[in-house]
Amino acid sequence: MKTETSTKATSAKKADGHRLVDEDGAPGRDRPWIFRTYSGHTSARASNELYRQNLLQGQTGLSIAFDLPTQCGYDSDHAMSRPEIGKVGVPINSLDDMHVLFDGIPIERMNTSMTINATSMWLLSLYVALAQERGVEVAALRGTTQNDIIKEYLARGTYIFPPPASLELTAQMYEYCLDAIPKWNASNVCSYHLQEAGATPGQELAFALATAMAVLDLVRARGQVPESAFAHVVGRMSFFVNSGIRFVEEMCKMRAFTEMWDHITQHRYGVTDPKRRAFRYGVQVNSLGLTESQPENNAWRIALETLGVTLSRNARCRALQLPAWNEALSLPRPWDQQWALRLQQILAYETDLLEYPDLFDGSPVVASKVAALKEQAQTEIDRIEEMGGVVAAIESGYMKSALVRSMTERVRKIQEGELTWVGVNRWPEAIESPLVSGNDGGLFRVEEGHAQQALAALEQTRRERDTEAAERAIETLKSAAKAGRNLMEPSIACARARVTTGEWAGALRDIFGEYRPATGIDGQPLALENDRVETLRSRIGALTAARGRRPRLLVGKPGLDGHSNGAEVIAVSARHVGFDVIYSGIRLTPSAIVRSAIDEDVDLVGASVLSGSHLELAEQIMTGLRKAGMNSAQVVLGGIVPAEDHAKLEALGIAKVFTPADYELLDTMEQLVELLEARSRNEARPQNQKRPQNQRG
Amino acid sequence: MSLQQLVERALAGDPVSRAKLVSLFSDTRPEATFDRMEAEEIAQKAQKPHECAFVGCTGAPGVGKSSLLSALVTRLRKQNQARLIAVLAIDPSSPFSGGALLGDRVRMALPEDDSGVFFRSQAADRELGGLSPATFQVCRMLRYLFDLVLVETVGVGQSETDIRHLADCVVLVVQPMVGDDVQLLKAGIMEIPDVIVMNKSDLTPAANQSFRALQTAAVRLLRPTDRSKVTTHRASARTGEGIDDLAALIADTRSNTDRFSEAETYFFEKAVRREFGTYGLDVLEAQGGAERVIEQRGFYEAQRWFARQIVV
Repeated sequence: MKTETSTKATSAKKADGHRLVDEDGAPGRDRPWIFRTYSGHTSARASNELYRQNLLQGQTGLSIAFDLPTQCGYDSDHAMSRPEIGKVGVPINSLDDMHVLFDGIPIERMNTSMTINATSMWLLSLYVALAQERGVEVAALRGTTQNDIIKEYLARGTYIFPPPASLELTAQMYEYCLDAIPKWNASNVCSYHLQEAGATPGQELAFALATAMAVLDLVRARGQVPESAFAHVVGRMSFFVNSGIRFVEEMCKMRAFTEMWDHITQHRYGVTDPKRRAFRYGVQVNSLGLTESQPENNAWRIALETLGVTLSRNARCRALQLPAWNEALSLPRPWDQQWALRLQQILAYETDLLEYPDLFDGSPVVASKVAALKEQAQTEIDRIEEMGGVVAAIESGYMKSALVRSMTERVRKIQEGELTWVGVNRWPEAIESPLVSGNDGGLFRVEEGHAQQALAALEQTRRERDTEAAERAIETLKSAAKAGRNLMEPSIACARARVTTGEWAGALRDIFGEYRPATGIDGQPLALENDRVETLRSRIGALTAARGRRPRLLVGKPGLDGHSNGAEVIAVSARHVGFDVIYSGIRLTPSAIVRSAIDEDVDLVGASVLSGSHLELAEQIMTGLRKAGMNSAQVVLGGIVPAEDHAKLEALGIAKVFTPADYELLDTMEQLVELLEARSRNEARPQNQKRPQNQRG
Repeated sequence: MSLQQLVERALAGDPVSRAKLVSLFSDTRPEATFDRMEAEEIAQKAQKPHECAFVGCTGAPGVGKSSLLSALVTRLRKQNQARLIAVLAIDPSSPFSGGALLGDRVRMALPEDDSGVFFRSQAADRELGGLSPATFQVCRMLRYLFDLVLVETVGVGQSETDIRHLADCVVLVVQPMVGDDVQLLKAGIMEIPDVIVMNKSDLTPAANQSFRALQTAAVRLLRPTDRSKVTTHRASARTGEGIDDLAALIADTRSNTDRFSEAETYFFEKAVRREFGTYGLDVLEAQGGAERVIEQRGFYEAQRWFARQIVV
């Protein structure tokens, strides 16, 4: 199978005026970046078929999406897992699944990127064990484990252990890879998710660079890597960056990244070889700005965002993956992914982009913009360092609060029209898109029943393995963890003994404990003051007076999905208009939400679900409330919910469904208040009837 | 459902009824006072108040009050399944919208299927003093439903002295000292606690030194009341260190009925000041003062009676 697209000239180029020439002075083109499509779903078998299909289409690397149970360290048969199996990626329970996932794919020739974080060490161990069992030389493996736990606490939510223990695992992977898999990127510092969570370019630069420094500082402090090899570790540090619609600024951001990293590696870590100071990064362009309304416009947005990370040769990405145009509607279908891939191919092979040296060197405008971004970022880095570094800034909630503030500010700008969002806050009327009127409605659906495959495979693994050997491997892992030893080898041994994902993570949970970071929403102001806000406040004031208490809203994120921006913005806005809001962050079980709703005696429960598991989770919440006899709380649900599911949710008793099309915060707040007002009218009873209050409904 | 049924069910441990009853005790409508009086009468007839101890937990933001509380509650429940525990957590309200973000981090660390623990957050609703206007009233009812009530105060300032009037034992949580915490030791809040816990206290030299400084300071504390000496402890919610000792200390806290009637007076006066300002206080004084009025009429009747005095 073809793994790397060869072009006519692949050797190093240099600039000759406006041309790129090779060593002999012959003109040529740059080799393109690696084309990837972030994919994986349903089951190891289905994902394997998809990968083979994509490789035939000219894709040059694999980018593996894992399902949420795998990312959060649960087996498919765990209670939290059931609704999520295979939804946002492939479920991997054991080494047996890995054999299926890479069936017929030559891993020794693949560049494999795994979007995996808290369980990175486990997935790398499985990959290594796969190579060992196939007889492939481990040192030949190439690829990346995302493994940036900091942004999980801040934005993505698939953390398990407390920050210090998580960073130790990352550092251990660098130590292991140094000799064992020299071409593996043990981690990939992500600013991507920070932008999705609302980060400004300055915050993106600062938080990502501070994270990279935290990892390198730790590797150095652990003292396991000889000083002579430390430059190699620095050189393996890679990044995963976002590219938004303001593509000129994004291009400048990438130049700022490149320059700042060069400076940091040289001065903080003393790396002399310029190659090892290169800012190596992959990209997924922005999803935050993709819209549910007029989704075809997203294709243009994606194309423009691609320019930000490809135009400047000195700051060009090494690998690129594009979201699909319909991402705000559902997971992409194979055709959607192919369409995204074609954009990359057109840009790389049809246009003349790759024929020129850097287009922006010497531009005073670009230089000035880059300098401004660098200054913002440096100020922020200094602040974090003053606090004691990234771990301290996570534990204190500082970084999370900063992001929530940026996000609420962005939302306010959209509400007030300061930011134009085509098809949303301007030109919302449009001819209906023929792209979403096909047989499948333009949507991808995980086939029901595929979860059974994962469950059956897991059961088979457990049945057929040597149970005692598996238990011994787990004990060895635990004692190594207690002793603070490097856990890679014990983890590989676990993989080969058919220990499962949940068992591996469970063993380390026992040792390291679990972590729940700050929600970041305390004390967040929303700079939105207008007549509608005032009206809402007085309506809530009237409800408060009539009912003897301020309306109470529980905002909850049930399930494993960690994308909390929506829930955070709703929580902040609801308080802004006068609700008492109870918000406890992500990854709640439906029963925990039910329990909170009862004890807190809330009037409204707002559940936010983006993973596609809304039907299962809504059903569990509604059943829990009903069983307990809690009838006074109305439940609303927000998330990526296909139109046809609305009626099903209503039948379950959900009072209202909000989708990304309901971006107008005050509309949402008004609808919540209307629900309460309607309930309050129904509560009104003849005067002489016996109370207590709040009992009806 | 009648009030009678509601109280009976709550006393029998039904979670929804329990929660609704607590809501009744924070209902701000004047007429809710009738129901509260009636509810307490029903509860009184059905059973004596538990020997319910009130423990306050105060301290600056970020010192780890919530994680310490959840570790303690988990431990206390494990030790004695029959001991029913309520946790009230008070959070600040927005001065602009009146709304509040109510933290629920204690709850999240508790076993979710344990109905022997009740968790309620309350908005401070612009009240100064670290509690919500309804905290005392709610605690009245909680006496009948639980054996132990833990109250976590807002934790934002040094004016949080109300907890001293409510709690049988006040725990001040601090962390190994840096900068501002030294100031905290000098400030008024140090006059409140019976127990000072240094949380996040791993056995590093810096923490040891910090703890010694705390012990020295605690010895010198002037006690405003006749309460016994301040004790100092160190704990780590993360490692579990010191949790057993603290749990034992809390389990040994005894309720003090004298304190509760003092609290009635204090919070009644505070409510008068909140509703009617210094004018209200003058009227109250003319009637012989809060203590006398409550003594003559009882807690609920005093409130209704007083409201009538003002209106006329």
